[in-house]
This record gives sequence, C-alpha cells and structure tokens, in this order.
Amino acid sequence: MDRRHFLFGLSGAALSHLEAGTHHPAKADACIFLAMLGGVSQIDTFDPKPKLAELNGKIMDWSKEKKTDQPNLFAKPRKFVASPFRFQRYGQSGREISELLPETAKWADELAVCRSVQSDNGNHPAAVFQMNTGFIIPGSPSMGAWVTYGLGSANQNLPAFVAMPDFRSIPFSGAQQWGSGYLPAEYQGTVLRAASEPIRDLASPGDVDQKLLAAEREALRTMNGAYRVQRPDNPDLQARMDSYELAYRMQMEVPRVLSIDAEPEKVKDAYGLNDPATASFGRRCLMARKLVEAGVRFVEVFTPSQSWDAHGDIRKNHEKNARETDKPIAALLADLKQRGMLPRTLVVYMGEFGRTPDTPAEQETPGRDHNTRCQSMWFAGGGMKGGSTIGTTDEIGHKAVENVYHMHDVHATILHQMGLNDLRLTYYFGGRNRRLTDLGGRLIKELQS
Amino acid sequence: MRPSLLLILSCTVWGQERLVPLLKEHCGACHLGTQAQGGLSVDSLEALMQGGKHGPALTPGASGQSLLVQYVTGEKTPRMPLGGTLQPGALARLRAAIDSMPATPVAARRDSHFEWLLRTPAANAPTPSGQNPIDGFVSSRLEKEGMRMAPEAPRRTLLRRISFDLIGLPPTPEEMRAFEADSDPKAYEKAVDRLLADPRYGERWGRHWLDLVRYAESDGFAIDGERPTAWRYRDYVVRAFNRDKRYDLFVKEQIAGDEYRGKDASPLGDRSVALGFLRFAPWEADANSKKQLRQDLLNDITGTVGSVFLGMTTGCAQCHDHKYDPIPTKDYYRLQAFFAGTATADLPVAFDEVERPPEMRQRMRQHEDAAEAAQTALDGQREELKERYIALMKVGPEDDGLKKFLGRLNTRNLFFLEQDLPLVKEPEWREPLRAYFATRDTMQREQELARRYQALAYTVRDVAPPAAPDVPDTYILAGGDLAARSEKVEPGFLSCVTGSSAAAEIPFGGGSNGRRLALAEWIASPQNPFTARVMVNRLWQRHWGEGLVRTPSDFGKNGEAPSHPELLDWLAAEFVAKGWSVKAMHRLMLSSAAYRQGSVHPEQAAFAAKDPTNRLLWRMNWQRLDAEALRDSILAISGRLNPAMGGPPVLFNVPDDVAQGFEFFKWFPSSEVEQRRRSVYLIQRRSVLLPMAETFDAPNLSTSCARRQTTIVAPQALTLLNGSLTRTEASHLAELAMGTADPVGEMFWRMLGRAPSAPERAQGDTLAAQGNPGLASLATVLFNLNEFLYVE
Repeated sequence: MDRRHFLFGLSGAALSHLEAGTHHPAKADACIFLAMLGGVSQIDTFDPKPKLAELNGKIMDWSKEKKTDQPNLFAKPRKFVASPFRFQRYGQSGREISELLPETAKWADELAVCRSVQSDNGNHPAAVFQMNTGFIIPGSPSMGAWVTYGLGSANQNLPAFVAMPDFRSIPFSGAQQWGSGYLPAEYQGTVLRAASEPIRDLASPGDVDQKLLAAEREALRTMNGAYRVQRPDNPDLQARMDSYELAYRMQMEVPRVLSIDAEPEKVKDAYGLNDPATASFGRRCLMARKLVEAGVRFVEVFTPSQSWDAHGDIRKNHEKNARETDKPIAALLADLKQRGMLPRTLVVYMGEFGRTPDTPAEQETPGRDHNTRCQSMWFAGGGMKGGSTIGTTDEIGHKAVENVYHMHDVHATILHQMGLNDLRLTYYFGGRNRRLTDLGGRLIKELQS
Repeated sequence: MRPSLLLILSCTVWGQERLVPLLKEHCGACHLGTQAQGGLSVDSLEALMQGGKHGPALTPGASGQSLLVQYVTGEKTPRMPLGGTLQPGALARLRAAIDSMPATPVAARRDSHFEWLLRTPAANAPTPSGQNPIDGFVSSRLEKEGMRMAPEAPRRTLLRRISFDLIGLPPTPEEMRAFEADSDPKAYEKAVDRLLADPRYGERWGRHWLDLVRYAESDGFAIDGERPTAWRYRDYVVRAFNRDKRYDLFVKEQIAGDEYRGKDASPLGDRSVALGFLRFAPWEADANSKKQLRQDLLNDITGTVGSVFLGMTTGCAQCHDHKYDPIPTKDYYRLQAFFAGTATADLPVAFDEVERPPEMRQRMRQHEDAAEAAQTALDGQREELKERYIALMKVGPEDDGLKKFLGRLNTRNLFFLEQDLPLVKEPEWREPLRAYFATRDTMQREQELARRYQALAYTVRDVAPPAAPDVPDTYILAGGDLAARSEKVEPGFLSCVTGSSAAAEIPFGGGSNGRRLALAEWIASPQNPFTARVMVNRLWQRHWGEGLVRTPSDFGKNGEAPSHPELLDWLAAEFVAKGWSVKAMHRLMLSSAAYRQGSVHPEQAAFAAKDPTNRLLWRMNWQRLDAEALRDSILAISGRLNPAMGGPPVLFNVPDDVAQGFEFFKWFPSSEVEQRRRSVYLIQRRSVLLPMAETFDAPNLSTSCARRQTTIVAPQALTLLNGSLTRTEASHLAELAMGTADPVGEMFWRMLGRAPSAPERAQGDTLAAQGNPGLASLATVLFNLNEFLYVE
C-alpha cells in the first residue's frame, strides 16, 4: 500500500479521485490564501469611488434598503465618507490602486481583481466561516481540507494543508476555520507556528538521551513487528507502523524546510522580517513560499482576527493593517515570480466581506462598517489572467451591480485552478452528498487565462 | 406521475434564484411571456414544468431525460439556443439543478425497505432460536454462505475487550490474574456484571451519548461564550446510564422532561437538566437577526431529534422533500411545530442530592469571595494607573486622552490595547499594566468558576398560554428561507408512519403547551417503528465496532441496509420487552458467542475473500481505542487517574498563545490534579479542543456524531511519542514500577495484562538497565504499541 494513504494525503473515498486523476488538468499545484480578517475596504484599495468625494458628509438615505448587515448601526442616520486615500494607475493594465498598498501596486499587472464578490452574512464569525468553509454555520470542512481530500499531498513528509494564524489574535472558533468538518481528520489543516516548535509535538523531548530515543525506536519496531506477524489479517497494524516511520522523517524534514535563518539577508529584508510591523505577517509569507516549494498544497495565512474591522477610524485602521501586510505580500509575489513558481501557484487575497461607503452620522472620526454586497479580492498566478479586472459596483461602492459573483464562485474558481470540479468534489454525509460550494459555484471566467 | 408544483418550488430556491435567470439570459429572447416560441416560457419553474407543445421541459431528478437538456445538448434538434451553444459550466449547473429535484412524490416512496422498516419490530415477528438467539440469527445467516463463527477468544482477550467496552479502561493486573484463575463457569458473566455495576461504566457510555447529542459547553461562533452549568446535563447522562434508566423515560426527559408527569418521573432537577439536549446547537449570541437565530435552533432540533432518536435524516427535508425517504418538507415543519412554543432558558433548579449541594454552595461562595477581593484590588490599581497617567502626561482629571485610556483598560486583550494605545508599550507603563491585567485575570477566573457552581439548569421552557397569548404558528418555509413562508402547519408525526397528515393530539394545555410531550410519547413508544431499533443498533455498534445497520443515524434508503434484519427486529422487540433496559441489552449481547469469538478466524483467508468487511460476523472486529479511552488508560496505567466524578468541567493546559489569543475569553487551566480526571469531564469548548483528542478523531462538537472516524496519521505518532501526556505518565509509571519486584514485568501487566515474552523481556531489561529514564522509555514504547491501542 502506498504510504500516502495514511499520512496527510488520502484514504477511502478520495482515493477514487486520485486514481481517476484530477477532474481536469490543473493550472495550479498549490494555493496560498491570504485571509484579511475583519474585511478590507474595497473603496480604499481597489475600487475607487470619486463620487464619494462629492457626497462626503452628506446623509445617506437607507430607507430603500430592506436588508442591512448590521441593523443596529443602520437604524440611525448615516453619512457618506470619501476615501482618505489617493488612487493612482499602475502597470501596463493601468490598474487603479490606492496609496495604501504601494508595494502590492508594483505587481498590478500580476493581479486578477474581482470587485463584485458578495457573501451571505454580515457578522464576522458567520462570514469568516463562509470564507473558509462555504457555509455560515460551523461544521463544514475548510477549503484547504477539501483540496487535500481531492488531491492528497505532493510531499509525503509534510502536511498537505498548513494554517498559519496570527497568535496575537486567533480567528473565531480557532481550529474549526481549518478543520476537516465531516471529512476524516487526516484532511484537517496543520497549524504551523513561527515559534521554535512549528508543529505540535514534532521535536523529541529534549530531556531524553539520544541513545535512549534510538533504543525506543528500535524496541517499538521489533515489538510491533512481532505482533503484526501473528495477525496478518489486519492492514491497520502495518499502516500504523508506517505512520511512525513517516513521523520520524517529518522530524527531519519540517525543520529543514522551515529554517528561515538560512535565508539571505536580502530576502528577509524584502519580507520585512527586520521591521516589527511587518515581521509577523512577513515571516509567515516567507514560510508559505518555502512550504509550497516543498510540495504543500494549501497554505492559509491569517491576519489577526478582526484586524481590518475599521468601524472607528478607516484611515488609522487601514494604514496600520496595510503597513503590516503590503510589503510581505509584494515580497511573496516577487519571490514566487523570481523562482518561477508563480505560474503554478495560485495566490488569493480576500477578507470575509467588504465595507460600507458610509459611517454613522454621529461619529466624529469616519469609519466603515460591514458590507456583504461587494468586496474587492484578487488572485495572482496559478493560471489567472494578470492585469484583468471584473465586476462593477454602483457609483458609491455600496453594492455590486454587474458581473456579480458569490463567495461560492471564488471557491469554485480556486478548486478549478487546482484541477478539481466543485460539483464533482463531494462527500456523503448526513444523508446527502456535500460540497464546498453547496449547490455549485460559477467560475470567474473573465479572470482565468 | 408528475410531482406537485409545490414540491419543486420548495426544493430549489437555487433553481428560482439561479436556474431561471440563467435560462432567461440564454433563452429569453424567444422563450418568454405569452408569445413564447413553441408555447414554452422560461420565466419560472412553474412555466418550465408546464412546458410547451412537446411537454414538460423538465423531468425532475433526471436531467438526461429532460427535454430542455436534450435540446441544449443537441440530442434533439434543433439544438438550443438557436445558433449558439450553452457554455459547459452553465450546462453542468442546469443538470445539477434538475438532478436535485425529487424524482417521485415522496408519499409514493413505499418500497420493500420501508415496508420492512415501517412495521414495528414485534410485528415482523422474527423467530428466535438457540440458547442466545443472537447466535441463532448470526449462525444461520453464516451457514447459508457455508461459513461459521470463529472460536471463542482467549480469556485475556475477552477481559480486555469487555473492560474497554464497558468502562473504557484496561483491566488491572489483579483483575486479569483473578479472572484467568477463576474456575467458575460463570466467571465471564460475573465479570460483565461487575463492570456494569462499576460507576465508570456511566462515564464511558455517557460519553457515547454526548457524541450523539452534539454536547458542548460553549456557544461556538465568535464569542463562544461558556455555558457554565451545561455540565449538569453531562452528569445527568452519566447517572442515567449507571442507574440503567429506562430508555423510553430517558427519551421523554430529554424532549419533554418539564411536561412529563408520569408516575416514574424523575426529580425536577433531572427532568429540567435533561432538556439541555434541545439546546446544544451552536448559538450565535450576537446574531443580527434574532428571528433567524430562533429558526436555526428549531432546524437543529428538528434534524437532531430525527437522526438521534429515529435514525432518520429528517434534516434533509428542510428545504425540499427528502430525496430518498418518504419525508415531505411538510412533515419536517410539522415535526418542527412541536417545538414552536419552546424557548431557551437558564432556570434556577436546585442541585439534586447526588450533585452534592452543600459542596456546590460552598465552592460558589469561595469563588465569589475571591472575585470580590480581586475586584477591590483592581479598583485600587486602576486608580493608581489614573494617577500615573495624570502625572506622566501632565494632564488634568478631565482630559480626553485620560478618559480614552481608562476606557481602554476594559479591553479584553493586551494585543488590542497595544493596537489602540501605542503608549502602553513604553517601559514605564509595562509593569503596572501587567500587574493590572494579572489582577483582572484573577477576577475573571474567579467569576467564571463561581458561575459554574450556580444552581442553574441550562434548559428550555414553554412560551404558551397563559404566559404568552399563543404558541407561534409554524409555516412551511420554501427552500428553508424564513422570508418564503407558505402553508401553515400543525404539529404532526411523520406521515409515513401514521399514514396521515392529521394534526397530533396534544394531551394538555395549561402552563405548559404539551406539544413536546406528545412528540416524546410518540417516539418513546413500542409502536414507534424506529426508536428501539435505532437504539439497539447503537449499542451493537459500540460493542462490535459496526452496527447491524452501519449508518446508525440513517436507517433510510440511502443508509446501509441491515446485515441481519431479523436479528435487529428481535433485539428491538426484546429491548422493549425487557423494559427498555440498556444494561439488559449489554448482558444479552456480551453473553453471545458472536461477541465472544476471536478476531482471527482459522479460515481467515477464505472467509475474508467471501466477506471482506465482516458484515456477516464470522469474527470479532478490531477496534482502535478512541481518544478518551486512550487518554484515560494512559493515566490509569501510570496510577495517576483522578477518579473524582461529576461537577464543573476541567480546563486542560493549552499553549500560552492559545490561552491569550481569543478576543472574547481567556483560558484559565484547572489544577494539575484536576487535569488528571477522565476525559468525559474535560471542558467541551467549541473553539478550543484538546489537541490530542482532535488528532485521535474526537468529534467536532457542532453536529451529532454517530460514528467516529478512525484515521491513521503521522501526527498521532508524534503525539504519542513526544507529547507531554505520554512522556509525563511514562516517567510516573517508571517510578511506580521501580518500587516493585519486577519492574519490566509490572509494566507489561499494567499495560497489556500479560507477562512479557522472552524477546520482550530481553529488550525491556536492556532499557531497564539504564535506570529510571530507561524504564520511562520502555513505558513510552508500550504506550505506542499496536497491541495497546487495538482491542481484539
């Protein structure tokens, strides 16, 4: 039996996929998902709205809107807020990007931007669940788990799906955001820490003598071996023995892959590791590149929970968060490109929802609230068309009006680029075949190359 | 036969939202309105079903037979849309939408499977034979295939098997030696009785039940607020199993404990706490729409009651008629209507004697006092910080910056404080702020602890006349959408069982609306075709590793058919005849030869070729210890398992960054001694699972878990080789063994219930020669052995 059956890779139902190959030829071998928790304002990054400068301070009329994402906030009068950030055109594509993201802007022609992604719930926890699992309630597998279930691992000595939260503020519901839901546990994301022990219990205990550790290993092999010989009928016994051999190899491989110290100073600097503001996100972006290079399928890097949630002060909040992420993200794109990895690596940048064009009228410092009717997100690499843009929002950036897409469509597109068909990637649970995209998503064709 | 329009409309909101616009976009130029070509209009599902001159455009459930698809693919000409083709993606979605429609009206779905299932077990009148009828059924089925059961397993294996099965812990060396030496022909039965009388039986089997009811002690979602007294439900379940509470009563208490007035009714405490069952769904405390929140809870209850008690996937009928089973959407909402008057409530309910009320009172007071003391200290520290701010920043007491600073002191997390107030990173602020937050932690911890000892039940109550004007009406919601109300329904039982859609008779009104009681009485009745079968199958599953129906919460068409339907029927009838006694079922099952057979057969290869998954039970299945049994056993073997039963949950250690990383709560681990209690007492917090349990396939706490997965992955090896649980207990075991005459032998006996073989002895001696660390290494090896993790 191939050993990937029982590591992070495959078993049972998923095997049939692999034997049949991917559903169609993949454009990307790996995906790096940059989760901008809290929700980035589209109006202040990729979707300029000059009209708002005109309306700035005027009272917004919400009476015609039946549904709102945050009823309490919208019950009172609200006023329009112009973006405090200047926009400029970049690259051949002439893409407009605000001054918040000067480093990302240098890669304007690599980005495929969708400005019209909608989602179903304006509350952070439900929305974060939807971004990660497709559903607004807990219990479903995360997209990384689905990809792993579909594709297995490309490096048997590493987890196929790695999650890197910011431990200063963990995503809501913690491990459920990278959990395997009703899929078998082997598909759950493995948390990597930037700290000394990247994977829980990876290192042998420091206080046990090396010789003893070697003797333990030998004794375990012999005793398990003798037991198995008398019970040849149970394949699990051999599988479990092999899982120990894999564990020993992981102990060697993981620290090697993740050793950042050996990286040239220039690279560390580019990712911002020497600057306290960018070090946390930068370190994880660099690890993401190294992991993908070593064969990891899906890496998700999270900003701190609710970090982009700019209710109180759009300028201050977004300046801070852009400062922490812009440079590392640009470095990641540059690094992938320079190593020739970008064409086969899909990078995705999105938050759980977008933000409103207005703020409560009584609020002195303008902020922006939750908005499920549109957000701007981007793909790079992995068979997406750099420099392309799709989706139009209304003139105030309140909702998507043309080429409207849904979170499910983003998921369908990610799966598609990785060689999986979202309608066919199913798992039978609770009486029916389940999917990441529920009843199916639409591919964002305009952005595919 | 054509399905009714309502069925289709309710089945695909997606169809309405996405299919129709898609068709309008591609076909609308010719096929819209009254002038539509060929009489076919695509502007609604209704119109598509109505069809044009060739007949209905859609054949629900069969896209290939749908005219629409046949024209679009060119199978019929002219190919549509005229002069163009539909993109492959659009075609796939079109097919998916059509395939997801129910193919036949649900009421007509009475096939042989349901003919069997819908008759009560007793009505099927299976004929038992043999001393233990289980063996009669199993053997006669095997004989038909020219097969037979394996010989009885060795005594050592049997004691290990029943010990893990019944109490989730290995036999002690003394128990093992005594059992092997016991010449009484009833030795085995005596051992079964001893284990069934052991209170640790309730802890083991209670945990199985908690899996099913998605038991959790927190809300989930963002805030993941603790449910501080939910643990009383856990203890109620443990007691119920230990006392062998009649299963029909157990069901009634969890659905309608408050409304039940039978002679055998338990004390109010138990009945009220048992209702926690209805509340264990995830709960979005800060949801924007309270109406949706209520609907979500009702949906969870409707689905969970169906799968747990009836073994029917009723939840599948929420948005559309069940696709495989005879459960129309209407039945889903009729079932839901039993709960329409139910509201969540935390009610004062005094502790029962067995819950140790004086201790609870005393502990609560102790923690309240400590919280108060911390509050006083905190006020002082806050005042000092204020003074310090005024002095350092040279501002007056009314300064805005000062007010903001003081406001920020209420923030939950130092990270957010630093984000908002960079000044706190300055050296002269670090220490006083650290001290302030430490005091606040103490206060919060003590407050949290005090809340867990309150005499409150995490329960529900009825909102009904006279307390409320009326029970809210229940409507069928098309596609499960609150905004899409259609027909109003009354509470009613599954129509496939009763044969009618008549409203259920509600026994009484008064202070309670009696609806849930009506449902409970219907479920917990010998006449209900599902209840007894589903429960005996669950018991069977836990003993054999697989149920007679291998999809224990899905007895419907899409589940696996029973391997031994007659045996299942006989067991179910016997269960009812024995007064719904779970322990009687254990005795019956464990005394059978089918249970006592070995896990390897003399004709292994031949039989495995005939029946590779052992559906016919020609040998015993292997079972890997689940996360709880594994953890508890390691602690028991090192002699350090804390046997204390019941009470508030235990918080295990987590890495500091996890403990501090959540915005809405902090994590305060329990004392070391507390942390050595059985796993069933560890807190079940949705956002912080015990990592070791997660690695070993523990349930995710959000939905009912009827059957655990058993994965084999490298992180499990890392956990057992390097994790603190094994390493810590290994050195304690080494110490304990050192004090005995034969340390190596002692370890094998404690771990595996046997003496080491000659090669094992040699290997053990080599390690033991290195003293305590060597013995600890041997213990680690033994904790990792397949022989330890697998029960034969």
